[in-house]
Amino acid sequence: MKLLTKTTLYFIIIMLPVFAGGAFFLFHKFNKEIKHETDEELANDQREWLRYLDTASLDNPIFRFQTQEFQLTPTDQPVQKKFKFKGVTLYQETEDARAPFRELSQVISIHGKHYQMILRKSMIEKDDLLKNIIYVMLFAFGGLLIFVILSNWFISRNVWRPFYHSLDKIRLLQLNKMEARRFAATPTHEFNQLNEALNQMTDRIHQDYINMKELTEDAAHEMQTPLAIAQSKLELLLQDENLSEDQLKNIGQTSEELQRLSRLNHNLLLLAKIENQQYPVTEQPDLHQVLIQYLSLFEELIREKELTVETHLVPTAPWPLHPALADILISNLLGNAIKYNYHEGRIHITLTAQTFTISNTSNLPEIPPADVFQRFRKSNQGYSNSNGLGLAIVKKIGESYHIQVSYQYVNGLHIFTASC
Amino acid sequence: MKVLIIEDEPSLRNSIREYLEHQGFICEVAADFREAIDKVTDYEYDCIVADIGLPFGSGLDVIRELKSLKSKAGIIIISAKDSLEDKLSGLELGADDYLTKPFHLSELNARINALLRRKNFDGNTSISFFEITVIPASKTVLVHDKSITLTGKEYQLLVYFIANQHRVVTKSALAGHLWGDAYDQAGSYDFIYTHIKNLRKKMMEAGGEDYIKTVYGTGYRFG
Repeated sequence: MKLLTKTTLYFIIIMLPVFAGGAFFLFHKFNKEIKHETDEELANDQREWLRYLDTASLDNPIFRFQTQEFQLTPTDQPVQKKFKFKGVTLYQETEDARAPFRELSQVISIHGKHYQMILRKSMIEKDDLLKNIIYVMLFAFGGLLIFVILSNWFISRNVWRPFYHSLDKIRLLQLNKMEARRFAATPTHEFNQLNEALNQMTDRIHQDYINMKELTEDAAHEMQTPLAIAQSKLELLLQDENLSEDQLKNIGQTSEELQRLSRLNHNLLLLAKIENQQYPVTEQPDLHQVLIQYLSLFEELIREKELTVETHLVPTAPWPLHPALADILISNLLGNAIKYNYHEGRIHITLTAQTFTISNTSNLPEIPPADVFQRFRKSNQGYSNSNGLGLAIVKKIGESYHIQVSYQYVNGLHIFTASC
Repeated sequence: MKVLIIEDEPSLRNSIREYLEHQGFICEVAADFREAIDKVTDYEYDCIVADIGLPFGSGLDVIRELKSLKSKAGIIIISAKDSLEDKLSGLELGADDYLTKPFHLSELNARINALLRRKNFDGNTSISFFEITVIPASKTVLVHDKSITLTGKEYQLLVYFIANQHRVVTKSALAGHLWGDAYDQAGSYDFIYTHIKNLRKKMMEAGGEDYIKTVYGTGYRFG
């Protein structure tokens, strides 16, 4: 829920009882006032009546007068000094309902006779009053609501603009372009604080990122150099024509192992670099072309193993990947499909705009799902040329570039799927 | 042909020098940035092999200096930093090739040969080895002046062998040359054997001598 929706909602929840209370208070107040006014009018009327009755003769029909508004009834009760007020409801024939009345009653003495005098005034306005108050209140409440919503909309567009601006910037933040991101000053103190904190944070993260990047590259440098020296010395040593076959073989093997070490180092660095997002997505390489390129590069390997390669490829499949990573993704998966295949085995490749699926036959059993993308988890007895990082790199590319990489084993086929 | 090797690691510098001199190059060396700048300003070279990380400066600045001197020397960067930015900025500055450490000396040698051919003769030259003549411009191979048909890989192998004649070339160096980074996907080097067998057969059928000798367990020697 948006912050503004939430504050509006809270506002409504708070305002509802306030308005209800207000309505109740107003009704009560007006009611009292009306009652008071009516009572005053009744008292005035009575005074008029008494003055009139004093002068009226006894045979005046007024003494037998009976209406809802005025009653004068002979009574034996003693004369009351003061009149009394009370509220009553009386049945109204015309409306077939009971209506509220204010009543003034007093036992009075006229010409030595006692009469019960009752004066009434209709309070039918009271219902109207209630209605009116509710209308007014609803109107005010509705008006206020519209006003609040409009002003919130206005606030969100203006006051909150720097906030949304910063938010958009954070969303687009890329690790390798962080130093270029500045959160500008705004006219709002709180947002200034936020942006200041964000600036500090991005600076710190960027610094860490640079440090890490430098560390990985320095580590590469430091390790590759001694490897290069050893490698070159062995290569020179191989040129010695006095070496025995055994010595040659040993040097060859040593050189081979050194290269494995350097590949391992290279791949570990690659993993770190992918993790650091050091391969920005600047273009969308066509996976179709990459695939064709590697199929032709591995042509001899495929031919030598007499593999059947079946392909279902769309003509173009641009994927949001760094070109170097597109190469690695395809060459690792295709390379594995060839390497772990048996003689006269099959490879099936499907490429659509969003998915790349490669399946191969193999003598190897199903790879436990927990191990398949783990580093150095080799289930490849007899395949010494593997460093156990190929699939880990594929998985890491997937994680860092929002590509879903999965493995399945169905009917003796190892199936790898990458989808973006 | 004069080559300047700019490399701060003495052991590697000497290895490169030894290998290249054996292949007939005249080599000079520079151990740091200042020495490199001095040498490139004072002398002319056909090819510069430059490391990027140097004491007192960067190999990239040496390339800048070479370009400002309008040097015609071919430039090959050798760097342990396998970072794309370095590679791209190096090539943008005008380097001709980029080799990541560790590399095979035979590969460096082959690249220098190819580069010099490109630079000096625009490819309009031929490489000869006794009865074998290779014309890079048309990728034709003649044995006793008779043209033979080679596949792309066989042709690459032959050129590589001639560049590294009389030297033991390891199978992994050959694989790296033919397949680049993807070669560790191969699983084995057996397929190189097939190419070499075919190359040998074609050359011998044309009356050539069998120059490719198998070095037990390691690789091959040509000539």
